[in-house]
Amino acid sequence: MTPVHFSFTAAFTLGLMGLAFHRTHLLSALICLEGMMLSLFIALSLWTLQLESTAFSTAPMLLLAFSACEASAGLALLVATARTHGTDRLQNLNLLQC
Amino acid sequence: MTYLVSLFLLGLIFGLVAVASNPAPYFAALGLVIAAGAGCGVLVGHGGSFLSLVLFLIYLGGMLVVFAYSAALAAEPFPETWGDRSVLVYVLFYILGVMVVVGWFWGGWHEACWVAIDELKELVVLRGDVSGVALMYSSGGGLLMLCAWVLLLTLFVVLELTRGLNRGTVRAI
Repeated sequence: MTPVHFSFTAAFTLGLMGLAFHRTHLLSALICLEGMMLSLFIALSLWTLQLESTAFSTAPMLLLAFSACEASAGLALLVATARTHGTDRLQNLNLLQC
Repeated sequence: MTYLVSLFLLGLIFGLVAVASNPAPYFAALGLVIAAGAGCGVLVGHGGSFLSLVLFLIYLGGMLVVFAYSAALAAEPFPETWGDRSVLVYVLFYILGVMVVVGWFWGGWHEACWVAIDELKELVVLRGDVSGVALMYSSGGGLLMLCAWVLLLTLFVVLELTRGLNRGTVRAI
């Protein structure tokens, strides 16, 4: 394992742990998802650059487009939640009446 | 160069620690900015200048502006920083975990230095990632059309999610 591979693997794992363990705000969970997408982008780019398989370098671009889709859907959910519930705390979504 | 890229790798990990330790969303977005900048440095160190430029402009310029806007929308009066006790415990826990795994792999690193792309060739007209991304318009045309279709679909999903109070998808009970 090289230091570069270790770094983006650790970054992905940290983002996953943050997403799994800390869920007070919906926006925090979305930012953790974005961090995971960032580490995946770096991983795909490093695959291209280290192996010199330049035909593969379109893959990070397409991943960036799909992560934009994911971020926009999540932020739309955030805006809708902030409108209906007044806040984006995830404990508020459990309430029976608000 | 090796030291500089090592510094960027360290910045990547610490940026993700700052994101994952659950501070207020303002500061989590700041940690994501640090991580994205350090990731750009790592890609430049490997010779992927165009991919790094795309990451910097599209990711930082586009996505994080939207995140800053949403953080302003869902603001709170007393945001938690990394110095607060509930967050600092997680910061130290994550840093300790990363150091334990580094100690697990210590002494077994395969290569501590690296070469950039196209560095060992004789004459390079285009950098490798530039010519590779241009392939998206010829051979990868089908996937490009799929991406455009998915983005259009996402537009309608967003419009439908945030349509209105009474008719939208997420509504108050």
